[in-house]
Amino acid sequence: MATTTATVSITSADLVPGMPVSINASSTLYQTGTTTGLELVEMGRGTLTEASGADALADALGTADTTNWVYICNKSTNVEQYMIIGIHETVLGYLGSEEWMWIPWNMGDSDAEINIEAEASGDIDYEYAIYRSTNTLPAKT
Amino acid sequence: MATTNATITINSDIMSYSGSVSTTMTMKKFGSTVGVEETTGLQVKKFNSASAVKIVDNTEGTAGKGSKVYIRNTGSSTTDFFYVALANGAAASDSTETIGRLYGGDWMLMPWIATAATTHDIHVAPSTTSTMTLEYMVFQE
Repeated sequence: MATTTATVSITSADLVPGMPVSINASSTLYQTGTTTGLELVEMGRGTLTEASGADALADALGTADTTNWVYICNKSTNVEQYMIIGIHETVLGYLGSEEWMWIPWNMGDSDAEINIEAEASGDIDYEYAIYRSTNTLPAKT
Repeated sequence: MATTNATITINSDIMSYSGSVSTTMTMKKFGSTVGVEETTGLQVKKFNSASAVKIVDNTEGTAGKGSKVYIRNTGSSTTDFFYVALANGAAASDSTETIGRLYGGDWMLMPWIATAATTHDIHVAPSTTSTMTLEYMVFQE
């Protein structure tokens, strides 16, 4: 069985005056509702072009409503370049330059794809990793 | 200007070669090098109903900007979980949009556009009536 752990540390000495922020958490990624570790992963790096509009980083291929995790990092160092992150028709938020995100993704239905889009100009390099409970390969054409 | 750093580390032996991730970001205002300067503070809430509950109102973020939301299920159950969603569905399949499941110990850190509408309120729905606890914190401009 594979073991995957995700750890976060959030710190700030001056966001809240007189009360330093210090959050530390760690979790082990299990298959849906079990203590068996996730065993499917897809990792990569790509480049988004602003002119191309939104693209699907990952389709909801696999069993719906399961445990899956998504990591995305905007590798641009230009603060004017950001990524729009969404699930199907819903925009979650903007991922600024050199920022990362980590979210669960239950693939609630077949339309629940992860979308990414580059703004406001030029090309944006990004990295991603998707850990899944199940995956169905696309049909042969 | 405040400085808030967040580091994610993912270690995994799913693949036979290194698939680790380690990235640090400084939470910045949208399109800026200036760090975020406001937060809701760390909030802790207990749940003992399976009904969906709004934990963050869209007005707690800055519409269209670079807010971030940290959420963690503080429990240890590998069978009970929270659905996390935008709008008020927080069900297995919800087009408006369910993001994913947080089991015991699971955490997430996502960008949040905080569009000034109820479509971007953040809701959670426990999977059980047993007591579960969530901690969450919003970082905004």
